[in-house]
Amino acid sequence: MKKYLLSLFLLVSLQSLAQEVGLRPRRKWFLPDHLKLQFAGNIGFVSGGPGYVSRNQTLETDLLFGFLPQKFGGDALVTTTLKTTYSPWRIGLRDNYYIRPFSIGAYLSYTFGPQFDTKWPSYYPAGYYWWATAIRPGAYIGGKAGRNVVLNNRRRSLELYYELGTYDLLIISYIQNKSFLKINDIVSLSLGVKFAFN
Amino acid sequence: MKHILPWTALGLVLLLSSCDNLFQYNPNEETLLESERNLTAKNIDKISQLPVSDTTRFILMGDSQRWYDECEDFVQSANQQKGISFVLHAGDISDFGLTQEFKWVNEIMTCLKYPYVTVIGNHDIVANGSATYRKMFGPLNYSFAFGRDRFIFINTNSREYAFDGSVPDIAWLKAQLADNPTHKNTIVVGHVPPFDADFDKNLEKSYTEALATDPSVKFTLYGHQHRFYEGQFYDDGVNYHLTTSMGARGYMVVSTWEGGYNVKRVEF
Repeated sequence: MKKYLLSLFLLVSLQSLAQEVGLRPRRKWFLPDHLKLQFAGNIGFVSGGPGYVSRNQTLETDLLFGFLPQKFGGDALVTTTLKTTYSPWRIGLRDNYYIRPFSIGAYLSYTFGPQFDTKWPSYYPAGYYWWATAIRPGAYIGGKAGRNVVLNNRRRSLELYYELGTYDLLIISYIQNKSFLKINDIVSLSLGVKFAFN
Repeated sequence: MKHILPWTALGLVLLLSSCDNLFQYNPNEETLLESERNLTAKNIDKISQLPVSDTTRFILMGDSQRWYDECEDFVQSANQQKGISFVLHAGDISDFGLTQEFKWVNEIMTCLKYPYVTVIGNHDIVANGSATYRKMFGPLNYSFAFGRDRFIFINTNSREYAFDGSVPDIAWLKAQLADNPTHKNTIVVGHVPPFDADFDKNLEKSYTEALATDPSVKFTLYGHQHRFYEGQFYDDGVNYHLTTSMGARGYMVVSTWEGGYNVKRVEF
């Protein structure tokens, strides 16, 4: 394993010798612009995966694979999530630090398991239950702070983000029960890191 | 770095203000506090310590699914009733089968002055619902006795099991009915009544006959149809009573005594 990592490291550094800082590396279009690792947020205990960013860096779309171990969730659950985040403002700070004070986004998650359905079985009359148990749409607001760095002569950035989110079934519950439910009953926090290759 | 601090602070404030369920990992997670586990056994234990009088009075309510505000009003109304020993929830505790919903309803129901026990509803079986029900309440079929009465709670949500013949468990029901050495008055409680389309048509006859052939069964209790409804639908001496939903703001007060019983509808 150590040997393998070492040769990989050498390969990466050799490649980077050939590139100049400041040039956008010629990356294949299909290679992801960043990787994310997220904690909580109703898409797994931890979730992670690749993502793409728009040219002006405000719109990110990620494909995350999440896992919730039984120890933390009472049931082991695997989830895939497609999420899009819009962070319109960037405030540059000293030492290559920056913040994106506001983000807003939405996601669609799919949880695997025989007990979850996308389409209800035929023994239910049409519309018996109106929601799909496997698919959950959700939305969130948040913010992030990051820093541009140079690693091996390549421009990289590292961001930390937080999101306060909820999902369809909780929103409906809240709208119909504004006396019993408070907004914080349906909102939960997630934290994440993003490593960008741009 | 200095500028990041205010934002971190803001994040922390928001974070602390929603401390209850700060982090959620999946809508279908089954995370419960110790105080939210084995509620059936815990509440039966509480009921068994209550004094028994000539008349036993209890409340039948049900279908609290996504009607939390109304359910809170129910608790307020129920707490003003006189001489109540306990509350029976006729099922559909949750709407989406989410653990969070079960927890919210339990939070409301623990404001009752009385212990409560439940029977599982079809909505409580959706997704991870039945797994959560087992952890939070206990077995899907169970029974207990109080005073001269014996309560049998049975899962009657056949459609959730694709009408495979396993639900309701007729063999279990018959065994429970037979196990009545002191000839207690037997009250069978289910969510879906046997004449409903969600009840297995192939089991309807054996179910209703099992009740009718037992002389200790005078009446039986259900929810599901979101309306008050009652009658001797099978002309076999057994009275069927359905309570309405929390959304329809109603419940029933049931009184039983030696040789008789009475059902009173309450709207709140």
